[in-house]
Amino acid sequence: MDIIKRKSELVNEFSPMLEKSTKTSKIWVSFLILVILIGLVAFIIQVVNGHIVTGMRDNVVWGIYIINFIFFVCLSYSGAFISGILHFFKSPWKNSVSRIVEIITVLSLIIGPIFILLCIGRLDRLYFLFLYPRIQSPITWDIIAIMTDLLGCFIYLYLTFIPDFAMLRDNSENAPKWRQKMYKILAIKYYDTPTQREALHKITRTMSVMVIALAIVAYSVLAWIFSLTVQPGWNSSIFAPYFIIAGLYSGVSVIIIAMYLIRKFYHLDHYIRKVHFMGAGVILLIISILFGYFTFSEYFSRWFSHKIEDTKLLDTLFNRYFWYFIFANYIGVLVPVFILFFKKFRTIKSITFAAVIAILGLYVNRYLIVVPTLETPYLPIQDTRPEYIHYTATWIEWALSFAGIAAFILFFILIMRLVPIIPMSGIIDYEREQKRKPHASNNH
Amino acid sequence: MANKKTEEGSNNRRNFLRLGLMSSVSAVAGATLISNLTADEVEPSGEKIRVLTPDGKMVEVDAKSINKYPEAVITPTESRKGIPDKKFVMVIDLAKCKNARKCVEGCQKAHKLDDHEEFMKVQLIQNNEEGSPYWFPKPCFHCDEPPCVTVCPTGATFKREDGIVLIDNERCIGCKFCITSCPYSARQFNWGHKEKFEDKSQPYSPETQVPAAEGTVMKCDFCPDMLRQGKLPHCATACPMGVIYFGDKNEDIVTNGSETVSFSQLIKDRGGYRHLEHLGTKPNVYYLPAVNRQFPVERGFDVDEEIIERYKDVPFVKELKEQGKL
Amino acid sequence: MKTKIFQYLFIFTALAFVNPNSFAQETNLKNYKIRFGLSTTKQADNSRILEASYVAANKKDRKDRVPIYDANINFYNVFADEEVLLGTAKTDQEGIAQLIVPANQSYTTNEEGYINFKAVFDGTDGLDYEEAEVAVKDVFLELNLEDIDSVKTVILNAYTLDSLQTKIPLEETEIIFSVGGMLSKMPIKQDNISEGRFEFEFPEHISGDKNGNIDVFASIIDNDEYGNVIQKKNIAWGINKNIITESNQLWSDVAPIWMYVVLSILLIGVWANYAYSIKNLFNIKKEGKELELKSENEN
Repeated sequence: MDIIKRKSELVNEFSPMLEKSTKTSKIWVSFLILVILIGLVAFIIQVVNGHIVTGMRDNVVWGIYIINFIFFVCLSYSGAFISGILHFFKSPWKNSVSRIVEIITVLSLIIGPIFILLCIGRLDRLYFLFLYPRIQSPITWDIIAIMTDLLGCFIYLYLTFIPDFAMLRDNSENAPKWRQKMYKILAIKYYDTPTQREALHKITRTMSVMVIALAIVAYSVLAWIFSLTVQPGWNSSIFAPYFIIAGLYSGVSVIIIAMYLIRKFYHLDHYIRKVHFMGAGVILLIISILFGYFTFSEYFSRWFSHKIEDTKLLDTLFNRYFWYFIFANYIGVLVPVFILFFKKFRTIKSITFAAVIAILGLYVNRYLIVVPTLETPYLPIQDTRPEYIHYTATWIEWALSFAGIAAFILFFILIMRLVPIIPMSGIIDYEREQKRKPHASNNH
Repeated sequence: MANKKTEEGSNNRRNFLRLGLMSSVSAVAGATLISNLTADEVEPSGEKIRVLTPDGKMVEVDAKSINKYPEAVITPTESRKGIPDKKFVMVIDLAKCKNARKCVEGCQKAHKLDDHEEFMKVQLIQNNEEGSPYWFPKPCFHCDEPPCVTVCPTGATFKREDGIVLIDNERCIGCKFCITSCPYSARQFNWGHKEKFEDKSQPYSPETQVPAAEGTVMKCDFCPDMLRQGKLPHCATACPMGVIYFGDKNEDIVTNGSETVSFSQLIKDRGGYRHLEHLGTKPNVYYLPAVNRQFPVERGFDVDEEIIERYKDVPFVKELKEQGKL
Repeated sequence: MKTKIFQYLFIFTALAFVNPNSFAQETNLKNYKIRFGLSTTKQADNSRILEASYVAANKKDRKDRVPIYDANINFYNVFADEEVLLGTAKTDQEGIAQLIVPANQSYTTNEEGYINFKAVFDGTDGLDYEEAEVAVKDVFLELNLEDIDSVKTVILNAYTLDSLQTKIPLEETEIIFSVGGMLSKMPIKQDNISEGRFEFEFPEHISGDKNGNIDVFASIIDNDEYGNVIQKKNIAWGINKNIITESNQLWSDVAPIWMYVVLSILLIGVWANYAYSIKNLFNIKKEGKELELKSENEN
């Protein structure tokens, strides 16, 4: 009986989050919709006029679309990775962050592939990928990996949502009819009986292992799209692990930022506490050092062995892209390391700041992996058309990129309207555990 | 001298081929030239040929109305097979190239390419500051280990039995992965819409790549349509210097139209090499080094300003510009 | 008749549209020198090609050559005042008209043994009458390819016949030996024949086709006395009987087997797990349903 009461308490606590829409949130949502609409206009222009409206040309055939693609997909994989670890090891922080992570995982995995579609010249022939598949092509691997991963993440996310849907179903008498109906369907008659709970825990646990494995495979496949070619900046054997680390770097950073924003706007200081930021900060520190290490080994070996093509690439990086390079690989690594290394600097704000720097640095780092390599082919570019020599993204590309980010945030807000961002079932589970062994440690 | 004469021999053979094709046409037509030119509803190809009529009138006529070769269109499916028992190879003699750009123009005309759309590019290469610059005509290398074909997700680009790497633009989804994986920048993308894509007067064949299609990739194709007629690719025919040799590696014979030699002997005698051999792509285009040149490299600057401007980053060109010689 | 007139009218207007300068250029024909030439080639099967070339060449601009297209050319065998019409051909877009005279055609020769050929363009209002003549002796090339003491030897006997059908060996005539290729012939020997016979060792490095077959040609090119004569024989003297074919499973149609195996294992493993999870979800739902029924019954 106690548990049922607690459940209803929790639902009451979180219900306002699901229902209320303040003025600021309305403004935000309409702003995001506006950004998405501009992106749609850009998309229509691109479809009608062809890729000529982008900054991509024969040398730099992939621009910021593919960078967004890598960025979002890596974000998703890292989300799956982190969430899998949180669940598998029953981490004490699970309750505060796991749902944020899961939502990031699924959303970025939906938005990421849209960007690769924007790179495709003939969207009308997309089904050829399934009609005439070639197993040897890394793109085929990537498609299989993304689709499998997407489905896996959906199932996994749903599994973690079920107990909360059940609680919402049982305790939302005041909610509108459609909501009640939706919760009823989504809760698939879960009544939290011991056998149901056990079955759900079991499959959630195996799925958590599965998404970790899938994330590693998918990361590697994504990295191989680049590293299996013979291009100077890409053909690198450490690209697969490098992408994993870079993905985690962006993943942890986005989680920190999301934690910060959610905590601030939804006043969840009680659930998302400083200790979570501290923990995430330490993880970010470790990953940023690892990321710096990988970045250094990558460029150091190119610089030291100085094959002619590598030298040309480094020339480009250190001349035309000097500030980008400094920002991505010095500031983007060293500033977070510096902030996070000293305990006294670790505050919620500084950790969030470090995360913002890390994300921006990483984005530029991706840019530097894709664009300068394509601008420095084996045979020198001998052309007089500036747009064929150097890549500059057009407003169409930026509009679509920002539309992607806006869609990410908008969907995040919408999902938060559907289920509480703090898994209520997790709290119940936790409290049940506490009751069973009351002397266990007291922190969340 | 000997070579000059074999050329005539081979010309005869070519003429014979042409005759065979032409006579069948004139038998069908049976009308006068003029009625042919106007009454027939031939979609103009845009290419004009100037001829004298038997009445002594000089007229410019559309090439299409005159070139009534029976069109043996090789469909995309057929074009995947290749010409049996052949293994095509190109040899480019850098010692003879003076950047006359006739290969580029000939190719553009045949493939209906616009300005700047070049399957054959002529680059100015200077391997190092002290190195002697040379003109470097660069087609697709039709590699035996083609990285572009490996990465294609739909099999739109393929390697045939005769060694030619082609693109079926009806299969291509435009992912551009092949462009990024080609180390020789041989591939090009149709970024926007062009009117010529709509010209359906010539049925599409991967062997001609005409008409091109928006959002797909294209590149040098070694002109298999010409090879099927026993003719050299357009670039080789167009070159006034005989820089480009072409032939079958199996029969070990290459020709530039005026001189026919043994491929293996030529490579042996002249120190033939393949560009960027260390990449392991095994190109089917060989180069003869630019030694004992027939022209000083400066001869190649007798081109449009725009084209000279392309080479502005080459140390040699920078030097010339500083000295005010260019 | 009326339609014909209309057709011509239409044609004229159309032509004016095709090229407004066409009439202006007509008058400029003075700047062009008409070249009309004839050559003949005796082929391996003893048939004979007669080829007339008909072009207008600009007197000032060497590169400006305009072919006369679709002109009727008559080819004759001429003896004294007698002209035998061998056939008619039209010029193509390069201004060349070709006639192939079959091997069984007999020609009349003059006292010295020359056959006279003549090509004639009859002339129109716009263009003058043109004719060109060429006189050649009928040469017989006997090409023999023999393995003499395992030396691949090429033997050529060349002769003409006099009026009594006696063979007269060829003297001091340049012969080119070549092997056939897909795009053109490759010369392997070039020398002067004397006493009607020439012999040389066939080079070792010739590839031939996939069965090692080689077309060996012996030809006389552009000779004042004989025109063009070509003789050909096929023999399996090629060394390269292996056709080079490249194979690599990465770019070929079918992928390496291990790729299929690894991919299948991965996919089956993952999807089986999905199926297992979904099955468990149904179990949960079933249990919940039973629970609902039970509670309803209780109520």
